[in-house]
Order: sequence, then C-alpha cells, then structure tokens
Amino acid sequence: MNHYLVFLKKELVEHARTYKLLIMLVVFTIFGITNPLIAKLTPELLASFMPEGMSMTIPEPTALDSWAQFFKNTQQMGMIVLVLVFSGVLSSEISRGTLINLLTKGLSRQAVILAKYSAMLLVWSLSILLSAALTWVYTMYLFPKDHLGVGYLLFAISCMWLFGAFLLALLLSSATLVQGNYGSLLLTGLMVVLLMALNIIPSIKEYNPVSVASKTMELAAGKIDPSSVYTAVEITAVASLGLIALAVIVFRKKRL
Amino acid sequence: MEILREYWPFLVPLIMAELALMVTALVHILRHPTYRFGTRAMWVPIVVLLQIIGPIVYFIFGRGEDA
Repeated sequence: MNHYLVFLKKELVEHARTYKLLIMLVVFTIFGITNPLIAKLTPELLASFMPEGMSMTIPEPTALDSWAQFFKNTQQMGMIVLVLVFSGVLSSEISRGTLINLLTKGLSRQAVILAKYSAMLLVWSLSILLSAALTWVYTMYLFPKDHLGVGYLLFAISCMWLFGAFLLALLLSSATLVQGNYGSLLLTGLMVVLLMALNIIPSIKEYNPVSVASKTMELAAGKIDPSSVYTAVEITAVASLGLIALAVIVFRKKRL
Repeated sequence: MEILREYWPFLVPLIMAELALMVTALVHILRHPTYRFGTRAMWVPIVVLLQIIGPIVYFIFGRGEDA
C-alpha cells in the first residue's frame, strides 16, 4: 500500500511535468466551451453557406444539441487524445530503464501497474468533469429555457467516463504485452476497431463495451432507458478490472 | 464584430486556452535543443501556426527527454 501511494505520487508529478495533465485539461476545456457554441452557431453557419435564393428550414438548436456535441466530441477526439497522451505510459519507462532501479530496490510490480492506472484514471476523471462542467454552464447560458433530465445526463456522462476507463485499462494491458512506444497504441487501436466491427452484429451489441459510449447521446436525450445498457456497463466494468489483473500478471513475469 | 460582442464569454477563454498551450510548447522548444525528431526550425512554425493540434503533437511526439 505504501509502495502504491509513493508511486502514485511520482506518477502524478510526472504527468504534470511531462505536460500530459496540461494537454488533457486544455483540450477538454476547449471541448467544454466549443460544444454549446457549435450547437448554437451551426444553423447560422449552414445558412451562410447556402447558395443565394435557396432556403432551408433548420430547427432552432436546443440544449440537447449542445450535449450531443459533448458526447460526439468526447467519444471521438476526446478518446483519441486520451489514448495518444498516455500511449507511452509504461513503455517509455521500460525503454529508458528507469524502472529497473526501483524494482530491484523492492518496489512491487503490482504497485507499479495499479498506481499507473490510478494516476491515468485521475487525470481522465478530472478532464471529463471539467469538460462536462463547462458544457453545463455554457449550455445554461446559451439555452436558458431548455431543461434536460439531470439524472439521464449524469448517467450518460458516467457511461462516457467508464468507456474512457476501459480504454485506459486496455492501453495499460497492451503496454505490458508488447514492446515499444507504439506497439501498445497499435494493439489498443486494433482492439477498438475489432470491438466496433463486432458492434455490427445486433446480438452482440447489447454486450459490447462500445455500446456504453455510442449510446450516450440517446441516453442523455432520454430516448432509451438506462436499463438497456446495464449489461454493457457491467461487462465494461468487469472487462476493465480483468484487463488490469491481466496487466499485473503479465508485468510480474515480464523481463525488463 | 457582432459575433465578437455576442460571444465574448466563449471566445476569451478559448483564445486564452489556445495561447497557454502554444506559449508552453514554444518555451519548451526554445529551452530544449534536441527533439525526438525534427528540428527547432520545423517545430516552431508547427506550434505557432497549427492551433491546439501543433502543441499537442509536439508534446506527445516531438518532445525530447529532459536532461
């Protein structure tokens, strides 16, 4: 436990010093502010691109459009930035050889993996919270009359968070399995593509972790009941824990 | 101008966030002579001209090891 806390602190300091924390916070701040803005300005932009004399009725944007932007951006660019920022989380330390000293001095390998995962999870939680809070405030400012079901919204945001946590677990276990800085990135990417491809099969959809992220928009809108994703949520949570356990087991046996 | 007056609560923090990212990256580039790849002459325009994406790419892929 003591090892874990010491290493967790070291990880957090490292995330701050290597600008990972800064990148995550700035990017998610920018998302948080632009989501409501894009929702508000889209009809005007479309109108200005319309050729002369052509008219199209575009529905007035609502608070829901703003949150739709939030879920779309977080799910696409947000996840890409998240995985890219943390892509070298284990491999850079292995290739530099800085872990060997600590491990021979008695730092437990389990503590390394758990602390690394916790530190990444902390940065991710902070980022998505910041982005959601900004989207919330600016949505209220731009669309003061619209009211959304807060419960649905919070559940959808939690689902998005869970998917990020799953991706980080996938990334960390990939980093223990393959060598090099880009190997883990490649393996994680391949796994996500595979999961997305599997989502085409309707009977698997209900159990696929990808559903947790892709259904967030409908969840926030209250179009589908939260209970329809419970199975996927449970599977994603169990899979994340399983991946971390796998990372611990593989890393214990790994030659550095 | 109309848009500027109406949306300044959005634009001011946005521009500040972009500038903060750009300045941190620029300072880092000028303080460190070695990069994982590329040269100073390549990274400075990337960071200054490509808003948001430039600094992120620099910090993730271009940043050399701190001595």
